[in-house]
Amino acid sequence: MEALLKTINLTKNFGGLSAVSNVSFSIRKGDLQTIIGPNGAGKSTFFKLITGEIKPSSGQVLFLDQDITSLPQTKVSHLGIAVAYQITNIFPMLTVLENVRVAAQSRKTTFNLWSKALNHKALAEESLAILELIGLADFQGDTAANLSHGDRKRLEIGIALATKPKLLLLDEPTAGLSPHETRQTIELIKKIAEGLTIVLVEHKMKVVMEVSNTITVLHYGKLLAQGTPDDIRNNEEVRRVYLGGVKC
Amino acid sequence: MEEQVQKQSWWPKLVKVVSDHPLVFIILFFFIIPFIMPYKALATQIIIWGLFALGYNVCLGYTGMLSFGHAAYFGVGSYTTGIVLIRLWPNIWFGIFCGMLMGAITAFVLGYLCIKRRGIYFAMLTMAFAQLIYFLAFQWVDLTGGDNGLRNIPATPVTLFGYDLHIYEPLRFYFFVLFFVILSLLALNRILESPFGQVLQAVRENEPRAKSCGYETTNVRWLAFVISGSISGLAGGLHAIYLHFVGIDSLYWTTSGQVVMMTLLGGMGSFIGPFIGAGIFLYLEDMLSALTSNWMIFLGVIFVLCVLFFPAGVWGTIKNLSTRKKD
Ligand SMILES: Nc1ncnc2c1ncn2[C@@H]1O[C@H](COP(=O)(O)OP(=O)(O)O)[C@@H](O)[C@H]1O
Ligand SMILES: [Mg+2]
Repeated sequence: MEALLKTINLTKNFGGLSAVSNVSFSIRKGDLQTIIGPNGAGKSTFFKLITGEIKPSSGQVLFLDQDITSLPQTKVSHLGIAVAYQITNIFPMLTVLENVRVAAQSRKTTFNLWSKALNHKALAEESLAILELIGLADFQGDTAANLSHGDRKRLEIGIALATKPKLLLLDEPTAGLSPHETRQTIELIKKIAEGLTIVLVEHKMKVVMEVSNTITVLHYGKLLAQGTPDDIRNNEEVRRVYLGGVKC
Repeated sequence: MEEQVQKQSWWPKLVKVVSDHPLVFIILFFFIIPFIMPYKALATQIIIWGLFALGYNVCLGYTGMLSFGHAAYFGVGSYTTGIVLIRLWPNIWFGIFCGMLMGAITAFVLGYLCIKRRGIYFAMLTMAFAQLIYFLAFQWVDLTGGDNGLRNIPATPVTLFGYDLHIYEPLRFYFFVLFFVILSLLALNRILESPFGQVLQAVRENEPRAKSCGYETTNVRWLAFVISGSISGLAGGLHAIYLHFVGIDSLYWTTSGQVVMMTLLGGMGSFIGPFIGAGIFLYLEDMLSALTSNWMIFLGVIFVLCVLFFPAGVWGTIKNLSTRKKD
């Protein structure tokens, strides 16, 4: 089967620094792949290159066999790529429900000035379903800024889901979470992975090994290795630069 | 202690009821203002400037754009209404409509030039363009009267079923203006509760994320700017009719500054804030200017104190106090 997303020699230089260099990566529809790599390896930058948030220095991004390298971010979003950011990026003073609803609304209407937002039943139901999924239905009326760190991380995923993506990029969704919250988020990822193609950036090897069967290792912007969890575990170079003897 | 709780318990409830139904209370309040102000014309001035601040607040409070050039839309609205009434067609409805339209068109054009900038750059650009328009109006004496202002705007009668409403009698003129204010409030309320209103909030809260959700945030901000400009133009047109005159200072940066001050004084988060801000500002100006010719200094000090100690504005502070937990 053809790849849903494919990057060809994708490169991004920040001044003299090559944050992402020559990365060729592809993921098929329905797969869940993980990207690992030490801090500063270029994982978040790689995501931003895919979504069009920043433009690559060279290389290409193909999505659904279409070259989206130079498309603006909003267009890419409408084609069906969404990110849950590493640094939570929510609408702080809106309620939890409003956060998800406004994201869901982006698929329907922007310049509708004369109907009542609250009368759009389908939108409300859709948003509530997402809140149920991410386990925040009980907090729907709360101001998003008042949520705990863990809940905000999940709201972040909810906002991304609300745009009904075909491809979801999850940037360290469990960073800073307690073991219990990490558990919840793993379950959530497993659940949404059933109907969605996902690229996951993750540090916790336990999480990686549990949800994913293809792992890509980035190191100083370069693709270092790619393979099954076993391949990666046994790869000498990866052990040397990243896992550093960590048992996993 | 118990007595205190009893005593205090009524007003937080009142504040909550008011902020839950802002339109009802603000309209009720409008019917009281002319009778509690020292003179009727002050009340009229308050709701005209309140309307201007309301329009300004679409930019600042609802979309998060700090414009320092709203004099342009207010002033252009004023001049347009005045010039149309003098030269084109002495029909008050048409004149006001043209003022509003030109406010929107000006905001459309200047918005296009400013909207891609953010923060302080946006503020500076809006101010620069507003000053440009000021100098244009200053130079174009044939059309605007230049430094002397636009004089002799006719008091065209307003009739209903052939019956003259005598709208230039102070109290009646207040209600004539109030008619436009209430229409604007209802329209704006509708817009802010619409799906577009939701997008505005999202853009104010976190523009990069709104963009990442797929919203063309630049166009969203642009449209908000045009809506803001049209209401400012309407307020300007009403002001021209109220004075039968348009001064060149309506386009000057002090007018832009004044509307920022009113909006911040009253509080940005609501419909009520801008009107409270306009009320306090104009009432103080009226009072202080009778006492001293240095009233600007006192007003400035009061403004600075307000911003320092009540950053949420008067209405915002009242709301915060009322929801604070009592221990
Ligand atoms: N906007 C930017 N300007 C300059 N350097 C950047 C920018 N964004 C990221 N970088 C640099 O690029 C490298 C990769 O960063 P990032 O993609 O955030 O890594 P990761 O997500 O893997 O931790 C880092 O060295 C970072 O400092
Ligand atoms: Mg990162």
